[in-house]
Amino acid sequence: MQQSILVSVRDLSKQFKRSSGESFFAVKGVSLDIREGEIFSLLGPNGAGKTTTINMISGLLTPTSGDATIGGHSITKDPLAAKRLLGVVPQEIALYPALSARQNLDFFGKMYGLGGVVLTKAVDEVLDLIDLTDRQKDKVDTFSGGMKRRVNIGIGLLHKPRLIYMDEPTVGIDPQNRRRILDTVLRLRDEKHMSVLYTSHLMEEIQEISDRVGVIDHGEMIALGTVSELIQKIGQEDRLIFKMGDQPVADAILRRIESDVPTVTGVEYKQLPAETGDAINTAEGVLTIFAQRGRKALPDIIRITNDVGLEVLSVEIREPDLEAVFLSLTGRALRD
Amino acid sequence: MLTKIWAIAYKDLYLTFTDRNLLLIMIVTPLALSSIIGLAFGSFIGGGGNDVPIASIPLAVVNLDEGVDQNGTRFNNGAIFVNALVPDGAPDPDNTLHQLTDAILLTDADAARAGVNDGTYAAALIIPADFSANLTISAARPDLLPVAVEVYASPAAPVSGSVVRSIAESFTNQIAVGNITVAATIGALTDRAFSNPLFGVQFAASAGNGTFTPDFAPAFDPAATTITIEQQAITGAVATFNPLVSFGSAQAVFFMMFTALGGANSILEERRSWTLQRQLISPTPRMAILLGKMLGTFVTCVVQVVILVFALTLVGSLIAGELQFIWGTNVPLIALVILCVSLAAAGVGALVAALVRTPEQGNVIGGMVSLLFGLFSGAFFNTSAIPGGETLSRLTVNYWGVEAFIKLSQGQTDIGLNLAVLLGLGIAFFAIGLTIFNRRLNT
Repeated sequence: MQQSILVSVRDLSKQFKRSSGESFFAVKGVSLDIREGEIFSLLGPNGAGKTTTINMISGLLTPTSGDATIGGHSITKDPLAAKRLLGVVPQEIALYPALSARQNLDFFGKMYGLGGVVLTKAVDEVLDLIDLTDRQKDKVDTFSGGMKRRVNIGIGLLHKPRLIYMDEPTVGIDPQNRRRILDTVLRLRDEKHMSVLYTSHLMEEIQEISDRVGVIDHGEMIALGTVSELIQKIGQEDRLIFKMGDQPVADAILRRIESDVPTVTGVEYKQLPAETGDAINTAEGVLTIFAQRGRKALPDIIRITNDVGLEVLSVEIREPDLEAVFLSLTGRALRD
Repeated sequence: MLTKIWAIAYKDLYLTFTDRNLLLIMIVTPLALSSIIGLAFGSFIGGGGNDVPIASIPLAVVNLDEGVDQNGTRFNNGAIFVNALVPDGAPDPDNTLHQLTDAILLTDADAARAGVNDGTYAAALIIPADFSANLTISAARPDLLPVAVEVYASPAAPVSGSVVRSIAESFTNQIAVGNITVAATIGALTDRAFSNPLFGVQFAASAGNGTFTPDFAPAFDPAATTITIEQQAITGAVATFNPLVSFGSAQAVFFMMFTALGGANSILEERRSWTLQRQLISPTPRMAILLGKMLGTFVTCVVQVVILVFALTLVGSLIAGELQFIWGTNVPLIALVILCVSLAAAGVGALVAALVRTPEQGNVIGGMVSLLFGLFSGAFFNTSAIPGGETLSRLTVNYWGVEAFIKLSQGQTDIGLNLAVLLGLGIAFFAIGLTIFNRRLNT
């Protein structure tokens, strides 16, 4: 069943002026849709236009041109109605340290128009969700980083928004809390049917939780789709890297692997300097095999090397990921 | 929307009034400073004879002036002091100087000083022997020489001493100006006589037959010149000086400026910590958020000054040994001054917060503004004594606020100008500050 569209962004642009007076576009004609109940991730290096795009969607910045709607409400014409449907979890711990967890939730709840019994109930529910009911009266100042992150997320969920924007919510926390937050994000989608707009520098996180990904660079949306769609789009194959030591590998063996093993599309053998740091310059043979399904091809390749008496020192399978997608689309690594 | 504005303001108030360090700066420090000064000047506080009446100051005048000969006539400028201050018979009720002082003429300077020492006189004014000589210019000596008129005042009566010192300075200046005027006039007539023989003949004839009798007395007559002793008095009463009100209001407004600038600066800190953006992303109009922040600062200032007014009233009462309404009894006007001065201070804060880029800049510039306002307004020393000091002080929120408090404490109600200036500054600074900050949020 096709999910309905919750967020629709059309030709969104934002122009800024530098201190020198020169104008530049931080975002140029970005368009995207976020469906009900999906996790949509925005991927891009620092300065790509990700934050500016999200700041416009969330009403922090006024677009130079274009528009976006949340639940049918324009962010330029009816911003307050659009904002009611949006919850935000900023990367920063945007809390008042001198207030307790409950006081923080109360305050921001009021900013979303909650009050009285409704607010009390909403705060109780969120405290339960973030597992901080027993520490609700303690000042945030006394909390660990993970606990602060949980309050930070809780505030974004208080008014039960239909879309929640999470900006790098796992930055600077331990693996246990990180896992907990990712599980919460998945539960918000699966149990609360919320849409999630997610950003992270951690590829594996995005790859794990995202239904769809938008890749943004130099202010433009350069690719958009599911993770597998994006990988297919760049047409990359798995790479199986065999380290062979100083054994020579004959061309005949390379041709046999290429012709006999299904899904293998190419074979390459190189003698590389050994990474031992020894003064003696020993060479190391590296056999790289390209295959559409690397894991499936591996047993057949091992059988052939055994047949010809080659000893494989190590094997590594490199499957294409979002990093590779980004590299392929922009010509540089995401963290460059 | 009002609920949200109040929620923001209440949050700021809660954060401020639960911060012990802030409370120390906002309330305890000005209260302690004012109380120390109040205790030091304890004898001036309270009724029942403890008020310092700026009237009938017991004063001994000693004229040691030997006078000076000019054109064959002997002038004694010190006598002008004596004539103006010491009544010839009963004091003239229309002469402010006679009302201000209870002056007696003595001939012995040491006796006058001894009188001050034993409390007979609040001060002694001793005119030196070379007073006239030094204040008289001639062709041989075209410049005035310094004159050291001694005001010997009791440390127990610093206000009286200050008043007498002011009188002495005014007189000396007037005499000097008068002497220059006389010399210039005579000089001009002489020059004209030399250049115009006909006029010279007429001038000599007039001087000879007595028809030319120039009257230079107005140059020396305090009633006819610009010497004025300002005395603010309620009908039938004399003005009183209450150090707790003077110092207390100056300190209260000075420290309130810090609060206002710090409060407004918190908006920059909130922007840095992203709590401001979090509010801006909520369905709350941007102006409501900014107004909420400013309301928080304004109410904090009001609460701070109200606490200080109450606390200083308590201190004054404790010193006087009975309940003393040191700020006067016109509660609605006192409340209005507190509101207006708080609004103006919060407005200054809003403007500074809008003009700076970072909280650090805000702290530095805000601190400088507070200090300069305090300095110009005389919170630390009397700026009216320095050239342009009076004008500078009028550029500050502090001046208008403190003056209004002092006037009210003296029972006066003519504070319309003070309120108008404070209100105008507050509204103008708020409007400019909010407009600039609102614009900057979109960049």
